[in-house]
Amino acid sequence: MSLKEMVAQEIRTVRELRYLNIEFDPERCSGTWQCYEVCPIGLWMPNYGTRVVEYGDAQQCIACGACVLQCQPQAIKLVVAKG
Amino acid sequence: MATVIMKWLETTPGAYDRGIRLLTLGRLYPLKQRIATEYIQTNGRSDVRVLEIGCGTGTLALMMAEKGAQVTAIDASPAMLTEARGKAAEAGVLESINFQHLNVTELGQHFEPASFDVIVSTLVFSELPTEVSQYALLACSQLLKPGGRLLIADEMVPSATWKQLIYWAVRLPLVVLTWLLTRTSTAPLRDFSNALAQAGFVSRQVESLLGGSLQLIEARPEEAVEMVPPTAYPRLRHRITLKTLALDLLSLVNRVIPPYPKIRTGLYRVGNPDRDAPVLLTGNYELTVRRLVKTLDGQVDCWLVVANSQGINVWCAAGGGHFTASDVISGLKTSGILEMVDHRALILPQLCANGVDGWHVRQETGWGVHWGPVRARDIPAYLQNGRKKNQPMRQANFPLRDRLEMTTVMLFLYAFLLLIPVLIFWRPYIFLIYGLMISISYFYGIFLPWIPGRDGLGKGAVLALLTLVGLWAWSLGWGQLEPASLFGWSLGLGFLAFFVGAEFQGMSPLMRGEQANWSVEGLVGGATLLVYAAGRLLFGGGL
Repeated sequence: MSLKEMVAQEIRTVRELRYLNIEFDPERCSGTWQCYEVCPIGLWMPNYGTRVVEYGDAQQCIACGACVLQCQPQAIKLVVAKG
Repeated sequence: MATVIMKWLETTPGAYDRGIRLLTLGRLYPLKQRIATEYIQTNGRSDVRVLEIGCGTGTLALMMAEKGAQVTAIDASPAMLTEARGKAAEAGVLESINFQHLNVTELGQHFEPASFDVIVSTLVFSELPTEVSQYALLACSQLLKPGGRLLIADEMVPSATWKQLIYWAVRLPLVVLTWLLTRTSTAPLRDFSNALAQAGFVSRQVESLLGGSLQLIEARPEEAVEMVPPTAYPRLRHRITLKTLALDLLSLVNRVIPPYPKIRTGLYRVGNPDRDAPVLLTGNYELTVRRLVKTLDGQVDCWLVVANSQGINVWCAAGGGHFTASDVISGLKTSGILEMVDHRALILPQLCANGVDGWHVRQETGWGVHWGPVRARDIPAYLQNGRKKNQPMRQANFPLRDRLEMTTVMLFLYAFLLLIPVLIFWRPYIFLIYGLMISISYFYGIFLPWIPGRDGLGKGAVLALLTLVGLWAWSLGWGQLEPASLFGWSLGLGFLAFFVGAEFQGMSPLMRGEQANWSVEGLVGGATLLVYAAGRLLFGGGL
């Protein structure tokens, strides 16, 4: 790996961690609320009416990845925010 | 809590390969070649089936596939498997290797008995807790066809005393070097021929290298042995003794650099649990278990399964890939808990959910997975409520007490890291520098929630700015610093404050992972040095 590539890689990692965003597909949510069970920030909240979860302020997310791992239907993704 | 700097623990497949080469001084590769040439003899048959347990990056699996065997290669690490698949595709033997993401305790339910001619495993058993390794050996004896062979190449502690002396003299520096370079380490096997005998194998040593520290063992099953689970399990109690006080002190002075104090893995009783008592599982970090028992003892009767997290707390171990579904499954299957309770409900720490795939555990074991509270002290209330958490129970926080504890832990590390440069360059100022570092760190630890900035880098920059403002105010008001030495102090303290601020991110459960900070800190440090050098040229003097 050249020095230029290494620097680019580092900048990517910094960006990814700083500007992470949540991508959630409610259509896929199966309503097991595992994300709600595991989120250490309390970002995910169940909606008792629709049975689907909702999330709060994505900037609070610490990117631990617990919700992504525990979501069996893979409705949650952590993505790099644009801009 | 993030009590270990995670980035230090991350092992990538490439680094692992290099680490193993270094630890075994390059002798593992010829050993693998010997296994492939001597024991994989197809004689034109295309149905010779080989199982490799823990294939890693696939070196041996590839060799055996090239000899014409049908290879099944399992590994508990998806990253290793990806690397291995890539290497197999490159070598054109991907069709004859069946890679599977499994751990040793899952063998029995995924393969029929008597389905392999040869089972091989290199440097796997030395990584397993005793009860897991015993379970795996029994599984191997069932999976082998009549006349089949088990081949194990692994690091062993030699039995003769004089050999042990030489062994440690060579090994100790090698272990430190390897760990520093690649974050890889292993724990050599002791008394392995005895373990093989207990599992019903007859074994012989085929090759012994490096003074007996690296051995190739051939074993064949002689009699069928049933796993006899112990009938009594030790009871954990909350006790304060000289030993626990010493361990507490140790965890304050050094929580970052391994080896971490561990507790033996396996099943324990807390109170007097019966067949309906709740089952809790956690990692084998000594401090975790002790703090857990402190809150549970006298309040709750339960079973506690201690699984292998390599002595790291569950949050960091799970985040770094050292505590996964595989470890939880191994813990359930090998600890003996299956025989002790009638229900199948497992309570896991919520903070390991970033690494333990709950669905995988459910699928492989049939146990229901329940995510317990974040803090151990909420467990009694959680159990009384019928395994229901309220909002505070599921939320991590970073109260003043924890912040002060983490500041102290970090200060010991900084003091240690700074000692040599300070002694060499700034010896007259040692008390001043340490005093300032301690003040800046505690200031940061106490006021962390109110310091602006969205992550450690931002907060660190603010802290550096505050430090500089303080320094300049003091220098204008009371101090009589030469411009040159003000320049030097500004740079030095500014960088120190930034470093303290940025590093603390890894200690806080409320900020994003901090793998990225290391590089930024390095860049800022380099830039500081450059500015300092340029300044020295201009002023002709400095700190």
